Formats: sequence, C-alpha cells, structure tokens
Amino acid sequence: MDQLGLLLEGFSVALTPMNLLWLLIGAVLGTAVGVLPGLGSAMAVALLLPVTFSLDPTGAFIMFASIYFGGLFGDSTSGILLNTPGNSSAIATTFEGHRMAKDGRAAKALGTSAIGAFTGGMIATTLVVFFSPYLVRLATLFGPAEYFALAAFAFVAISAVVAESVVRGLIALAIGLSLAMVGVDGQSGAARFTLGMPEFLDGISIIVVTVGLLALGEVLHVASRIHREGPAMQIRAKGSPYLTWSEFKQAFPAFLRGTGFGLPFGAIPVGGSEVPTFLAYGTEKKLAKRRGDTDFGSRGAIQGVAGPEAAGNATAGSAMGALLALGLPTSATAAMMLAAFQQYGMQPGPLLFERSADLVWPLLASLFLGLIILLIINLPFAAVWAKLLLVPKHYLYAGVTVFAVFGVYAIASSMKDLWLLLGIGALGFVMRRFAIPLAPVLIAAILGPLAETELRRALAVSEGDLGILVGSPITVGLYAVMAVAIAVSIVQHLRHRRKSAPAPTPADRVTTP
Amino acid sequence: MTTHLTHPPTEPTELVPVRWFTGRSELIVSVLVLGLAVFLTVGTVTMAVPEGSGTPGPQFFPTIVAGMLYLLAILLAIQVIRAPRTVDGDSNVGLSTDLLTDIGDIDTTSELRVVRSSTRPTTRRRISATDWRTTGYVFGALVGFVLILQPVGWLLSASALFWAIARALGSRRPVFDVGVSVIFSSFIQLAFSAGLGLNLPSGILTGVLSWIN
Repeated sequence: MDQLGLLLEGFSVALTPMNLLWLLIGAVLGTAVGVLPGLGSAMAVALLLPVTFSLDPTGAFIMFASIYFGGLFGDSTSGILLNTPGNSSAIATTFEGHRMAKDGRAAKALGTSAIGAFTGGMIATTLVVFFSPYLVRLATLFGPAEYFALAAFAFVAISAVVAESVVRGLIALAIGLSLAMVGVDGQSGAARFTLGMPEFLDGISIIVVTVGLLALGEVLHVASRIHREGPAMQIRAKGSPYLTWSEFKQAFPAFLRGTGFGLPFGAIPVGGSEVPTFLAYGTEKKLAKRRGDTDFGSRGAIQGVAGPEAAGNATAGSAMGALLALGLPTSATAAMMLAAFQQYGMQPGPLLFERSADLVWPLLASLFLGLIILLIINLPFAAVWAKLLLVPKHYLYAGVTVFAVFGVYAIASSMKDLWLLLGIGALGFVMRRFAIPLAPVLIAAILGPLAETELRRALAVSEGDLGILVGSPITVGLYAVMAVAIAVSIVQHLRHRRKSAPAPTPADRVTTP
Repeated sequence: MTTHLTHPPTEPTELVPVRWFTGRSELIVSVLVLGLAVFLTVGTVTMAVPEGSGTPGPQFFPTIVAGMLYLLAILLAIQVIRAPRTVDGDSNVGLSTDLLTDIGDIDTTSELRVVRSSTRPTTRRRISATDWRTTGYVFGALVGFVLILQPVGWLLSASALFWAIARALGSRRPVFDVGVSVIFSSFIQLAFSAGLGLNLPSGILTGVLSWIN
C-alpha cells in the first residue's frame, strides 16, 4: 500500500490554505463554465492555461483538478431546467432530468445529478490511485509500435467508429494532423509548412486550436442563428435537492451501474462521455421496463438521472488515470490537461510518477478534495447556479469572446496567435455549419506528433519493414479490437439504413445549442 | 449533437425554390480540403530536408496526410453530389446517431424531445440558413480588435470588442453596454495584468492610470 502513503503526502500538500483557495476557485469556475451553455471543462482549462502560467505548477494543477470535474457537475443544469443540454455529455441526463423538472422535482433532479457526479468521480479516482502503478508497469512494455497503435486506435475510434459520417470524421482528423505538422520537425530539424515565417517555427499552439474551434467557433455559430431563435422556457428549481432514504436506495444501484459503464470508457479514446452516458441511460431504461416502473418515461425516474451522471464523471476519473500513466488523452478535456503538463515541461506517461511524484500525488489528492468541494457547492446551491442561465446571451457570448482573445494573447503576447485564432475560429464555424465533428481535430492535433514520431521511430528501427507495426501481442490485440469495432459499426450503419428506408431528413435531429 | 428519431420532423416554414446548389453548398468544404491537400503537397515537395535526416524523413508523414486529404476531398464531393443534404447546422458533436440510438435504447415515441432552437423559430425563413449579416459583423469586430489592439491598448479595444459583439447579438441598450464593456475589460486588466503580472498592451492609455502597466 505504497500509494496510500504517497496519497497522504499529496493531501498534506493540497491541504494548505492557499492551495485550498485555488481548489475552491477552480470548483467555482468549473461549475460556472459547465452551467453556461456551449462551454465545457476543456474550454475552461484551455482559457486558464495561459493565465495560470505565473502560478507555481502545484497550485495550477490543483486548480485544474477541480475545473476538470467541475464542468461535469454544472453541465446537467441547463439540460434539466431548460431541456437544452449545454454539453453533449449531458444529453442522456436531460431525457429523464427534464421530465422530473416538469413534474415539480427539478431540485431533486439537480441534487441527484450532483450526487451521481460525485459518486462516479470518487470511485473512479480511487481506482486510479490504486491501479496507477499497474498501468505504469503496463506502459513500460510499450515501444514505438505500441504507442503508434494506441494513437491509430484513437484516430480510428474518434473519426470513423463513433462519427456520424466516416468521410467527414476523417476530414476532421486530417485537418487536425495538418495543424500538428506545422513547425520544426523534432526528429530532423526540418522546418515544415511555415511559409518562411519564423513565427511558425514553434508550431501552432494547441490552446489556440482549442479556443478557436470551441470558443470562437461557438460564438460565430451562435451569431449565425441568434436572431432566428425563440427563447427557451426555464423551469424554476423548487423543493429540496436532498434525496430521502427510499429515493437514495433507488438511486444507489444506478450510481454504481453508471460508474461501471463510465470506468472503462475513460481509457478508450472515443471522444469522452457521450457513449458511456447513453449506455447508462439505455440500461436504466431497460431495467425500468423489466421492473414495470411507470415513472420512467412519464414523470421522470431518478435512476435515469443517476446512471448517466455517474457514468460521465467516472469516465472523467479514469481518463485522468489513462492520461497520467499512459500519456494518452482520451477526451478533449484530458487533452487540455496534457497541454497543461507540457506547458510546465512535463510529459505524462510512465516516467511521470517517478520524475514528478511531487506533483502527481497532490494532483490526485486534489481530485478527491475537488469532488468534495464540488458536492458542497453544488448539492445545496444548485438552484443558485441555475441563475447563471439568466445572463443575457449577448453579454455571455461577448464575455466569452473577450476572454478567448485575452487567453490566447496571454500565451505569448503574439499577434500571430490572434490572427491564427480568427482563422481557426472561422474553420470551426464552417465545420459546425456542415456538421463536421470537431473532436477529431483536437485529438489529431494532440496525438498527431506522438503518432508521427513513434511511427518513424518504429520504421527506422525495422529499416522500413512495416511488419514491426504488428510485431507484438499488444499491437496485434489493439488492431484486433479496432477491427472488431469497425465491423460492429459497419453492421450498425447497414442495419439502420435498411430500417429507415425513407431516409430521415436532416431536420429531425436533436441538438444542443 | 444529433440524434434523430427523438425529434419529429419540423415542417419547412417557407417553400424555397430548389436550386441545384441547395443542399450541395458543402462542396465548398470539398474545395477547401483539396486546397489544404495542395498546400501540403507543395510544402512537402519544396521542403528543405537537412542532411542525415534518416528514413523515414520529415516528408514521410505529410505525404500520407496529403494523400488522405486528396482522397477525402473526392469522396466528399461524390457524396454531396449524389445525396445533397440541407444541414441543420446546429450539431456540434457529430457522433453517430445509429450508435447512440442503439446503446441508449432510444425509440421514436418515448424519449422526450430535447429542444433545439429551431422548434421555436422567430423567423419564417429556414432557420438553418446562416445569418451572414450577424456572423459577418461579429467576425469583423474580431478583425478590428486584432488590428487596433497594439496601438490602442487592451482596455479600449477589448471594451470595443465586447460592446460590438453584445450589440450584434441583440443587445438594445448601447449606453448601458458601454459601462458593462469597460467594467469587463478593466476587470481582466486588473485581475490578470495588475494582479498576476501578465503583459497586456497599454496603448494610448499608457501612464494615464497607475494600474495600466
């Protein structure tokens, strides 16, 4: 139980008054960003990265830890009260959550979602702490071919298997890879695609890419339709957010089932928590049918909120484990955390626990503390947070824009970054306009350099023999799983195509703002 | 985020004369992807490769990506020409509907409709059609901001940006907005420049107030 001692040491670092303050600031910011529609924790970390550069790394990471989970605490609020999920991770919660709200149990739905997020995150983080040494040991078996297989797996999963359109998913992926190639090639020193401008030798910052695609893209998208939309109706959160004992008994198994779905998906790069939250929702729905529960689908069942919420935060928890031990970001938020590590000159992966133990354990400890603080500021005060939804949209998006340009300018006080930001914002707008997914761009921009380096390393070792890429049980296993996933996905698409012979018009879709 | 099946088809509110280009405007994306591919090709061919780069060298990966882009540009063009689609334009995830429907056990009747903006349109025009005026205004404000940031300084240019975007997005209180804008950008300047020591350009206000650099 080596980890326990190290974790306690981590707690002793995280529990200083100053660090607790950072934790609280992070929790408040994270929840706020989660509640506001169209923003997520990835954005929060991206915007705060340049700003926190002057902090010491421990303080910054302690703050990021609570932002990381905070976004997932807040995101279900607008889904439950307005029926417009602020983030894709909250869609599954919205189905039953908004039903509960219409039934006059809005506060209870918000409370359930806060407890669910807490339970999922807590269990996942505990497992990460105790299994990280094994993950690290596994990671030491990884050579260039294995890392390339992991990256390729991520690329295929995000752009082909879970994407609506394979061609559009792959286009997004290729755009991300192109963005990642700009700058000096680390292995040979060749300047690539810099147009002869020295400003581009360092490459394109991932922060600029994220803020451009997610923040400016969102603002331009909102601008393109704000004058054509009617206002949404908000339900007031009345009643007590606390669960009674019998409600808790109903919800508790759903918390655990949701966590069970969420855990494995944190380690698989399929774009974050959409897949596990839908899985959890589907399971609760089937179980309710079997029980003969008539609340589910009419008045709104507590399990339908509990399962997906727990799944979402469990995914975030185990994603943190995969990031720390393997150096593999499995969601946009994890990718931003990776960028944060790189900003402080650290590379997540097997060596991180040895080289930066003084940072990793306080970070893990603050994940626990962050969850506790988030529960405290979310469970009783969910209705207060909902007031944020009353901020007029024009001020909200004006503020987001100003903060976005500020965050990007703060990276290096560079005008080049601002122009790039506008360009990438326009790109994000065009992509959203044509329903091209954004997640593959981010995953490719982040894992692209790793994939390229490891591929070239592997091929250099084998002197060009492609056989090395499938030369170990680990790589064969990864490619086999990938092949199965592709096969399942093809069958699925074909089955649905046959079922819906009169092709559904693109208009009948559910969307988030 | 898109999952059809949980949403009834919305009736088109206005009959727009169907031109060939309707639903095929995505060909622009195809052209852009092709442009990117050409850019990568030119960059790869003209790349100055240092001596002793080893094989595979720095041109190896760009070649693969450029090849991918050519192929995808053609495939997309074929798809768009064969099956035009009027995109709703309100999807941000692009996750597979089929996948989510299967794993979420979603069916056509029992899932609550998750509301999107176009169910309460305030206009008789097709909601998915882009409002170019507002979008252009916002983008123009951003370009203007980048141009004046250095000479004018953060405080004024950020206030102007905030004001312009709030106005474009429908604020009806221009005078009140001036106050909100100045407070917002001063707050950032105070908290991060004076507080955390980040460097923001002070421009023409240099030395006017003690907390601006």
